[in-house]
Amino acid sequence: MEFKLEAHRIVSISLGKIYSARGQRGGLKLHKNLLVSLVLRSARQVYLSEPGCPPEPPPAACGPPEEESPPCTTAWAAGEPPPPPQDEAVRSGPRLPGADCESPRSRRCCCGCSCCCAAAAGGEANRGDCATAGAAAPPPPHCPRKRSAGERGQAGSPVKKPRREEEEEPPPPPPPGEQEDMETGNVASLISIFGSSFSGLLSKEPKGRRRTPLDGNEAAAGTPAEAAAEPGQICCDEPVLRTLNPWSTAIVAF
Amino acid sequence: MEEDVETRKISSSFLRDHSYATEADIISTVEFNHTGELLATGDKGGRVVIFQREQESKNQPHRRGEYNVYSTFQSHEPEFDYLKSLEIEEKINKIRWLPQQNAAYFLLSTNDKTVKLWKVSERDKRPEGYNLKDEDGRLRDPSMITMLRVPVLRPMDLMVEATPRRVFANAHTYHINSISVNSDYETYMSADDLRINLWNFEITNQSFNIVDIKPANMEELTEVITAAEFHPHHCNTFVYSSSKGTIRLCDMRTSALCDRHAKFFEEPEDPSNRSFFSEIISSISDVKFSHSGRYIMTRDYLTVKVWDLNMENRPIETYQVHDYLRSKLCSLYENDCIFDKFECVWNGSDSVIMTGSYNNFFRMFDRNTKRDVTLEASRENSKPRAILKPRKVCVGGKRRKDEISVDSLDFSKKILHTAWHPSENIIAVAATNNLYIFQDKVN
Repeated sequence: MEFKLEAHRIVSISLGKIYSARGQRGGLKLHKNLLVSLVLRSARQVYLSEPGCPPEPPPAACGPPEEESPPCTTAWAAGEPPPPPQDEAVRSGPRLPGADCESPRSRRCCCGCSCCCAAAAGGEANRGDCATAGAAAPPPPHCPRKRSAGERGQAGSPVKKPRREEEEEPPPPPPPGEQEDMETGNVASLISIFGSSFSGLLSKEPKGRRRTPLDGNEAAAGTPAEAAAEPGQICCDEPVLRTLNPWSTAIVAF
Repeated sequence: MEEDVETRKISSSFLRDHSYATEADIISTVEFNHTGELLATGDKGGRVVIFQREQESKNQPHRRGEYNVYSTFQSHEPEFDYLKSLEIEEKINKIRWLPQQNAAYFLLSTNDKTVKLWKVSERDKRPEGYNLKDEDGRLRDPSMITMLRVPVLRPMDLMVEATPRRVFANAHTYHINSISVNSDYETYMSADDLRINLWNFEITNQSFNIVDIKPANMEELTEVITAAEFHPHHCNTFVYSSSKGTIRLCDMRTSALCDRHAKFFEEPEDPSNRSFFSEIISSISDVKFSHSGRYIMTRDYLTVKVWDLNMENRPIETYQVHDYLRSKLCSLYENDCIFDKFECVWNGSDSVIMTGSYNNFFRMFDRNTKRDVTLEASRENSKPRAILKPRKVCVGGKRRKDEISVDSLDFSKKILHTAWHPSENIIAVAATNNLYIFQDKVN
């Protein structure tokens, strides 16, 4: 369990680093950001592979999501399968492609989200985020992996909606062939709460949308110059709002 | 600036109190020239300060050749890249000297994007007795001149002037981390995170790209170049290290683009040491050829390794610099110390290697006797001309009187840059904004 906590802590520290690297003088340091993203990936892998639940401070908050099915299906009102992991639109808060609806997963999201809301978060934030976590795809984790790029376009209109709002989501980091899918889910919610436009951890973005400079030094690791979507905007998808409780909505709006 | 046998560079900001050291004074590179007569330092403010060794005098034999300031100049200024909306730092990343070929000294200095060739020359005579202008420089009325004279050179106070002779710009998209002068003395290379370029000293508007590890899709990036150096004797050979802990040796004769290495040095990872941070701590921060050209030395976060060029599968020697930090990697990750890039140096005979650590400690390893020592570069703990006392870090259990416990180490005091005189036992150690020069004890 300590590993999971540790991994979770490292994930949040790493995200903080990537976020703060945006404002650095001299531009993004490719090397450092690459290393941070590698650590982030390792930590996420450990986090996901560890069985069981980390002891979460507000256990009650995770109550509802533990019953997986109802939240899972209700959040996905349209009932359509989660968009392919490669689609970075998926990275919005509520969608955790591939993430299980099992309670450990939900809890994890709780942990993740609560951590990033650390400053202000109370236990209640967990619940909302858990719900969003629960909203993740009913299909097993591996399913999204199998989705090919070609399926991207097949996602229904609800997918397009968050897509528009997520225009600022920049490209993902280094890890080649790594299936960022489920891990990035909760990460994405952390990111969206930061409201950052950093790249790096999210999945591969469709080419057309990527606002990279030709040879941007920051290509792989984040684009400081790119304007971020306003904090909170990314999270304003309907599904998110539906599932978040008022408390976490406030945080998201921040 | 005050000088001692242990010469220190005092912050050149207005306030001499060291607690007010400005960030611009943080030394970012230190390099002796080929004879050891000159020592150059670069700082975060883009300045270069060159120290020159005093000629030894028979009158004061105990003051063996101190280093005094010889020249100071602003090498790089902050710039702004308008296209990318990025500021380009003026911090000097590396200085490399050219071997001396005439009375002037030449050095290369680089920041993140631009390499400059500087000429440092002395002027100790000036011409007097011009016909068309008087001593103040004012033009004389030609009709008033009744006779001609030949100007003569008269001695003047020594003036050292630095002039930029070449500016090698716009060749690097990523941050330059290394420069290295080729043994042919006609070319040099500059390396950034993903590419290495070869330059001719005479040509500033073109460079050849000799290594390019940028993937077609940046999302597939897994490693970056961290350091590069030419072989000291073979002008066709160079090495570059990566963030994955590997070193590649390339031969420029094989092809114009040296993407395929001639040799690949990598040590298999010890699975028992695996942690979240294994990748970070295996990233090589510095690579240096030995003077003989037979070995290379690499520095990663916790160790220094010596490799034989003839054996690629593992280093021949591994030295633990500060293994007691292995259990603290998470905290070091949090405070960013784990990203510190320590350099390493050989002594003139390749028998001793030196590298820095935290708490203003630096370490020396004798390759022959296998003995090592930890010393401290600090004003409080050593008086001028006093012999440095070996330090010890206590890793656990009972702390002895002179030992320092791991938890009391000051991680803001790090020695990243050191240099060793090419032939004598004189070392220069940069401790944040102070430069310490230590010499062998004089009997």
